[in-house]
Amino acid sequence: MALSTTVSQRKKIKRKAPRGFLKRVFKRQKPHLRLETSVDLLVRVCPFFGWLAVGQRKVHLNCLLFVHRLAEESRMNAFESKCGVIKKEHVQAAAKV
Amino acid sequence: MGAGGARLCSAQAPWVFATKTTNPAMPCAELGCRGLERRLKESSGYRGLGFGAQKSLLEIPSSRRLSISTKMNVRQRSQRARSIGRLAHVQTSGHLEEQTPRTLLKNILLTAPESSIVMPESVVKPVPTPQVVQSSKQESSRGSLELQLPELEPPTTLALGLLAPGRRKRRLRLSVFQQGIDQGLPLSQEPHGNASASFLTSSLNLTFATPLQPQSVQRPGLARRPPTRRAVDVGAFLQDLQDTSLALASPGNSLRTPAATLPTDTVLEDTQPFSQPLVGHSPSVYHSLPYLFHTEAKDAEKAVSHRTQSNGPRLQNHSPGKPAQLLPTKAKKVDALAMSFTNTSSAISGEDEVEPSQDVVSEEAEEMMEESLNMGEVKDTTGTQGSVRTEKSERHAEMTEAFEAKEPEGSSGDKDISASPELASSTTEFLQTRQLQFPKSAPPPSTAILSSEDLEPLPTRLPPRARTLGPRPRQDPYKTGLSHYAKLFSFYARMPMEKKALEMVEKCLDKYFQHLCDDLEVFASHAGRKTVRPEDLELLMHRQGLVNDQVSLHVLVERHLPLEYRQLLIPCAFSGNSVFPAQ
Repeated sequence: MALSTTVSQRKKIKRKAPRGFLKRVFKRQKPHLRLETSVDLLVRVCPFFGWLAVGQRKVHLNCLLFVHRLAEESRMNAFESKCGVIKKEHVQAAAKV
Repeated sequence: MGAGGARLCSAQAPWVFATKTTNPAMPCAELGCRGLERRLKESSGYRGLGFGAQKSLLEIPSSRRLSISTKMNVRQRSQRARSIGRLAHVQTSGHLEEQTPRTLLKNILLTAPESSIVMPESVVKPVPTPQVVQSSKQESSRGSLELQLPELEPPTTLALGLLAPGRRKRRLRLSVFQQGIDQGLPLSQEPHGNASASFLTSSLNLTFATPLQPQSVQRPGLARRPPTRRAVDVGAFLQDLQDTSLALASPGNSLRTPAATLPTDTVLEDTQPFSQPLVGHSPSVYHSLPYLFHTEAKDAEKAVSHRTQSNGPRLQNHSPGKPAQLLPTKAKKVDALAMSFTNTSSAISGEDEVEPSQDVVSEEAEEMMEESLNMGEVKDTTGTQGSVRTEKSERHAEMTEAFEAKEPEGSSGDKDISASPELASSTTEFLQTRQLQFPKSAPPPSTAILSSEDLEPLPTRLPPRARTLGPRPRQDPYKTGLSHYAKLFSFYARMPMEKKALEMVEKCLDKYFQHLCDDLEVFASHAGRKTVRPEDLELLMHRQGLVNDQVSLHVLVERHLPLEYRQLLIPCAFSGNSVFPAQ
């Protein structure tokens, strides 16, 4: 997914194929239930940038926020332990809470 | 102190020398100082202020020694000497005419590192100079007094090293001076505080403290941190491998180099003796390998990720179908990979191929993958392996002999076995293994294992690998996506992270996605629908607490998503009573 063509200003990491990734997530959904469609396929008729469905984007946003929160939490844990590096334990502790 | 004062003035001369031109208010810049200054000028040029100072100091000390009475004086002198010496250095190097505190400080900062090295001298010398620069009679007088003190010490120590010229002198003096300083060091600490009346000295004093003690540590061996050997080792090893591989490429050396590299490569490869068979195949293999290497090096790396993703699904579709067709495409891609990577792995793999191995295709695949992971240069190994494997697969279909040459790096000769008997079946398996390998190359950064010791356990892991080929395609692209988010995590964290922590993040993400899907499913079913709609997502975010009365969804969208997405998600009113996106 050529997100990099348009984005990449604010995002330091180019989002490669968020669509593909969410499709994978969808595959993940498969194991426990099917027909969870339309999120991926909810494509808006956008002449400009119709590469990502709104639902997908929202899922993407959700993931982003989750990662953000998790990162903040683990960073705080690392600060508390006065480490200059985020370690596994910090992330684990952040995730448990 | 009068006599001492006179001598002090002379002692000051070295430092005063630099400042003398500018600073008039030197009560001590009297007869003695002037005489010293002249001596300094004669003895040393502007550059070697240190030398000059030393010389002057040496000359002076002889007279001073006698006058030295108190330890305090010595301490103070040493302090002053250092500060002044440094200033002198600076001044001599810089502009002697204008010596404002600012310029002095600037010079000090510029020459600070230098002075630290020649600390004893600079330490001795700078002390008096700042005093001089102060340009206050009191300061100067004080400085003169203080100069006396430091001078007392260095002269005693320097006197011994008088004979040695220049730098050697410095060093000798330093050593001697060190002793003196060490003795006077505890005492000198206090005078530092006293001398800090002038900001110059204080600034200098700050530096004094540090160089004093570390000097003894620094000088002894000019101890330098050993370069990062580990990196070099790996690099050197790879270089050697490359050399050996290149040597191997040449047919003439095929015999010898494999044998030579065998002992080194044993760690990386399966310990299988492959002396003779390698000869015949190595030329063909290496010919192909060098060809690969010479093509795009770096583009292959970038393309790898794409390929892995694209290859994965493609392979799945086509694996039962047309392996032959895929092989060339893969081979090309792999070739690109191989080219980008070092030849070492290819060389190693070439050697391995020769070995007639057991008929374990999966083992080979696993080995190859594992090896690729385990190799210090994960990418390199995978690249080479991939290239090798692709070559193998192609050749398998075509020739049975080729399999030997295509041994992936490090992997044992098992590949050969698989290649020969099971052309058709093996090709599909190879495709699968290659698929595994390719995606493996993408996530290796997160799972890179530098130790090549893991090669040994490879054979044990091989059997289970063959069976779990099914979920593999799902995992690999999934993992690449997870790694994508893992990178985001490290970006958000803004702190260095361990690889294990990244793996942990991936696990957490995995669980999170599971929960996410479950929740969405529940929401959709609650709404009587079977498809998940954006409203479900909004509800989810509400429940997660991401969206409050204070923070709305749109705000979040604006914060985290790029502009284009914002336009897509947030309805805006345009001209003509049109809202985009349409609701």
